[in-house]
Amino acid sequence: MLRLVYLYRNLTRNNMRTALTCAAVALPIVIYVLSTAVIDGLDRFLDNAAKQLRLVVSHRASIINPLPSGYRSKIESLDPERTRLRSVCGMGWIGGRIENDSRLLSTLAVQADTFPATFPEFKLTPEELAAWHRDRQAIIVGRATASQFGWKVGDRISIIPSLPPYTPMEFHVISTAPHAADPVTNFCRLDYFDEVRKEADVPTDIVSFFFVKCADKEALDHFGGAIDELFAHSPDQTRTQDEKAFMTEFITQQFDLPTNLTILAAVTIFVAVMAAANTMSMNFRDRINELAVLRSIGFSGLALAGLILCESLLLCGLGGLIGAGIPFVAFNFTSLKELTVPVIQAIIVEPNVCVEAFLVALAVGVVAAVWPAIAATRLTVVAALRNLE
Amino acid sequence: MPLPLYYNWRSLLQRRLSSSLTFILVAVVVFVLSVLLSFAAGINKSLAATGSLDNLLILKPGATSESTSIIKRHEADRLVQVPHVALNAAGAPLISRELCVQTSIPRINANKDPANVAIRGVDTVAFDIHQEVQIASGRKFQLGALEAIVGSAASQRYANLTIGSEITLGRLSNRIYKVVGIFDADGGALESEIWVGRTMLEDAYDRRFHSSVVIRLTDAAHATEAIQYISGPTVQLNAKQEPDYYAELSKTTAQIVELTTILIAIMVVGAIFAVANTMYAAVDGRKREIAMLRTIGFSKASILTAFIVESVLICTCACVAGLAACTLVHGSRRDFLSDTTWTVMAYELRITPAILAVAMGTAILVGAGGALMPALKASRTHVIEALRKA
Repeated sequence: MLRLVYLYRNLTRNNMRTALTCAAVALPIVIYVLSTAVIDGLDRFLDNAAKQLRLVVSHRASIINPLPSGYRSKIESLDPERTRLRSVCGMGWIGGRIENDSRLLSTLAVQADTFPATFPEFKLTPEELAAWHRDRQAIIVGRATASQFGWKVGDRISIIPSLPPYTPMEFHVISTAPHAADPVTNFCRLDYFDEVRKEADVPTDIVSFFFVKCADKEALDHFGGAIDELFAHSPDQTRTQDEKAFMTEFITQQFDLPTNLTILAAVTIFVAVMAAANTMSMNFRDRINELAVLRSIGFSGLALAGLILCESLLLCGLGGLIGAGIPFVAFNFTSLKELTVPVIQAIIVEPNVCVEAFLVALAVGVVAAVWPAIAATRLTVVAALRNLE
Repeated sequence: MPLPLYYNWRSLLQRRLSSSLTFILVAVVVFVLSVLLSFAAGINKSLAATGSLDNLLILKPGATSESTSIIKRHEADRLVQVPHVALNAAGAPLISRELCVQTSIPRINANKDPANVAIRGVDTVAFDIHQEVQIASGRKFQLGALEAIVGSAASQRYANLTIGSEITLGRLSNRIYKVVGIFDADGGALESEIWVGRTMLEDAYDRRFHSSVVIRLTDAAHATEAIQYISGPTVQLNAKQEPDYYAELSKTTAQIVELTTILIAIMVVGAIFAVANTMYAAVDGRKREIAMLRTIGFSKASILTAFIVESVLICTCACVAGLAACTLVHGSRRDFLSDTTWTVMAYELRITPAILAVAMGTAILVGAGGALMPALKASRTHVIEALRKA
């Protein structure tokens, strides 16, 4: 008890120093939480991709080269009973934007009949499913995109595709995909886009890639090779990967966010260590006489080291609590989520990330206390007391 | 009278540990700041170096990049009468029809992960229009031969793109092109491309159309008139001056800068707190010394400046160290996949004068911001009380 009081008194002895150190630890922890949240978001996205047991078939030469949409029936013929190969859905990237707006959309035109079976994680309701199958102009918009542009279910929207014929297309929003792993991408029907293409006399019946839903892991491995073999001697050879590998390639090619953010998080933690270590060493120097007195009245060197360590842990723990708490509260309990900034909407701050950040803060406390603690155990009472002013 | 700088320097050396911790902290912040900004600067530099104001890049209206644009031959034919088109020595108009396709080529790195490299099919006239393209070694491809020239950035980053090696192209992967030359393009985006003869490429990919047409004007001043003519009823295509087109591709960098700014701002505030902490300790430890200085005649203002100068001094030194560490990454080559063209574009990390200025400014801000409150406290030291405690 006495020791706790002593620790408390020590922390409040120099309030300004305690506050500044807490802040200097808290802010890097905020960065740590945010970068980890972004990385986790990507990981979650990739893990979902892996869990779905899907293969992605794209053109061997590059993802831009189109594949004939007729490849679907050939892939399906690999397993006519559909026991191991559940469904095949071809999709074409059409990008898109809306009139008088430079922001680019991410829109995919998909084969409507197999889309719900291939992407069960969308959990479309029976009404949404009915609308999807009934209405050729149906579009499922990403929830982040929907809030960014203010689209609601039932709206009629017009999107200009980034591919020929580049003429505006009318869509009816039937869902904002609350369960989709990717909150940005919109999905419309390929038959509608093909119809538009046919009218404009541009090449039609082509897709960018096929998503193949498999029954189990074994089927996934088997068909991964079997599909490429099937098309090995055809004009358009294919490259089949599992969905996770496919997505990873995309993400790392763009601006390798995971790697860069990890480096950044590591560096900020280093900054926190420097700040905390500085404070602890200053505290040690200021109180060297006091520590000597404690030594001389019988406290062991280890006890002193323990006290210093506890103080450092308290200090950094407090900073960690603040640093992890601010983003947690801000992203879960405030109206920040309603901001229509895609970057913010993509961030989910989960409790376990905050706990992890708090533990990191404690680790910072341990590292910061190492030097003063060692110095405390080695303290020579006489020498320290001699310095008494 | 101000205190001599020498005094500040000695004071910093006096508390070595805490000075060096502050030093490392600020140096790290400056380092991270500069490296993150150098990504954006590198991409911008590469895109800004691409294209000339004299050139108009013509796409199908609605297309956002060359890779998604289709210009049919008869549409391109309508461009022959565009006003103010420059002529070459032989009197032919400088109009270049181009076809862009992509192919997947493994990178030269441990994973050998594939990159989407742009292949541009051009006629001889293209070299009069894209004047920045210069053969660095080897020679130009011959029309009608399966020969290719490779941009220097692509040649360095992707496997088997050196003179003499072979590239497999074509929709059926049945055209084996031989690399006969390497070209430079002033460090611009074209250096990440592979160039081959257009007609053979159209045939190889079974494309009966062009992706884009590039026109060289006699003078950039006529650009507006020419652009209006092209978008008008006679041609009905969409023209842009080349630099405008490439500037639009740099939207990715805007996002990087945004993200960097937020994260760095948080870090800078943290650093200010850390510096303030150190300076408070310095002021507390030197109460008597300050009182002494006041007694022998230094004014409050000179005490205030002395502490700020001391803090700025160490932050500036740290900034120099951080920037020195940045030279390690300066010039290293990276590439990014543009989400507009879907092709990779190489760039060099660059520490530009602007970044130097921002880094220095940040360091001074951290130093001055952190020292302000402690310095005020120091200047308000009660002389008699401080001396009495001695």
